[in-house]
Amino acid sequence: MKNSFGLVMDIGEQMLISGAEVHRVEESVARMSAALGADRADVFIITSSMILTVFCGESSYTETRRVTAGGTDIERLHRLNHLCRRICGGLDLAEARDEFASIMSQKPYPLWVEVAAYGLIAACFTLFFGGGIAEGGVALAIGLILRLTVLVSDRLTSNKIFAKFLCSFVSTALAFCGLWLGLIPTVDKVIIGNIMTLIPGIGLTNSLRDLIIGDSMTGALRLIEAVLAALAIAGGYLAFALFGGGLL
Amino acid sequence: MIQLIQIITGGLGALGFALLFNIRGRKLVAAAIGGFLSWGIFLGLGFIMPGEPIRYFLVSAIISLYSEIMARWLRTPTTTFIITALIPLIPGGSLYYTMSAALGGDMADAVTRGLYTLELAAALALGIVLVSALFRVRKRHL
Repeated sequence: MKNSFGLVMDIGEQMLISGAEVHRVEESVARMSAALGADRADVFIITSSMILTVFCGESSYTETRRVTAGGTDIERLHRLNHLCRRICGGLDLAEARDEFASIMSQKPYPLWVEVAAYGLIAACFTLFFGGGIAEGGVALAIGLILRLTVLVSDRLTSNKIFAKFLCSFVSTALAFCGLWLGLIPTVDKVIIGNIMTLIPGIGLTNSLRDLIIGDSMTGALRLIEAVLAALAIAGGYLAFALFGGGLL
Repeated sequence: MIQLIQIITGGLGALGFALLFNIRGRKLVAAAIGGFLSWGIFLGLGFIMPGEPIRYFLVSAIISLYSEIMARWLRTPTTTFIITALIPLIPGGSLYYTMSAALGGDMADAVTRGLYTLELAAALALGIVLVSALFRVRKRHL
């Protein structure tokens, strides 16, 4: 009994980290527990913690998890979701374990694809917000460097807020370098384009979705996280602008 | 002209995010198409109604519907398409200007922009919730 519900928690935890909505994970964990023979399953999940208590006849079993954030990985979520359905359909536990191990060993896109994606996003949103070709080109170059900056700042500090601050500082600095070299007429479009890769716009929207849907704790936590991250990004921009000698 | 550039760059930007989120195969194509659609519909609705928040709500509901259909067809979670297709509408720029005004000391401007950012994000969230509520009945305890 104990081991099978441990696997249920493993799957739920990874779904949560990969980017599933909290209420979806609660539903999945409860369903898998029922499929594995629980008479009743009580699940409570917020972004950083999971609690599951299952009742089987006379006995009960409780497990809690401290969940640390990770990057969104939709392919992993897709396969976990499929595994969850199969477990609910009565999949053998040993097979489920093998499939889970196989899912966990699958790698995301290689780094160069992510670097290219950062460049693409930065260039696209610079043009989207009204920048010209030159600004788009500079934003592309900064975007490529920005992904590597994210890599370095994640190594330097485990504090996500400070990492955002550093990345924002570096991308602002590079945009001003472009201005001083005479490559671009203004910096703001280039900065906005690069900030799109850092700004927690999705986090803000998801937090309100969670609040409306009734996952108040998760929604409130995500809202605070989004506001703090946005402050850190604006702080990085402001810090450089001040260094640069009253450029604001 | 600017509208055409926005639709193309908005869609390609959504594709960029789809790559970062490790979306693969046919799901990647469907997610990127959603990105083109969302800003196209937003601009199209602009001919009928000028208000931004109501258009955000409608586009969000339409894109959620698109996501539910794609999710069933490709047998994958709905969130795959929602988070990528709505990227051009995500109020990231607005959120940034809010914080910039707050740190710059212009509190009146920061509050105005902040409330507007929240309004846009809430409109998006409402559209998502409305459609997902229509599509499924939740059961918390089994």
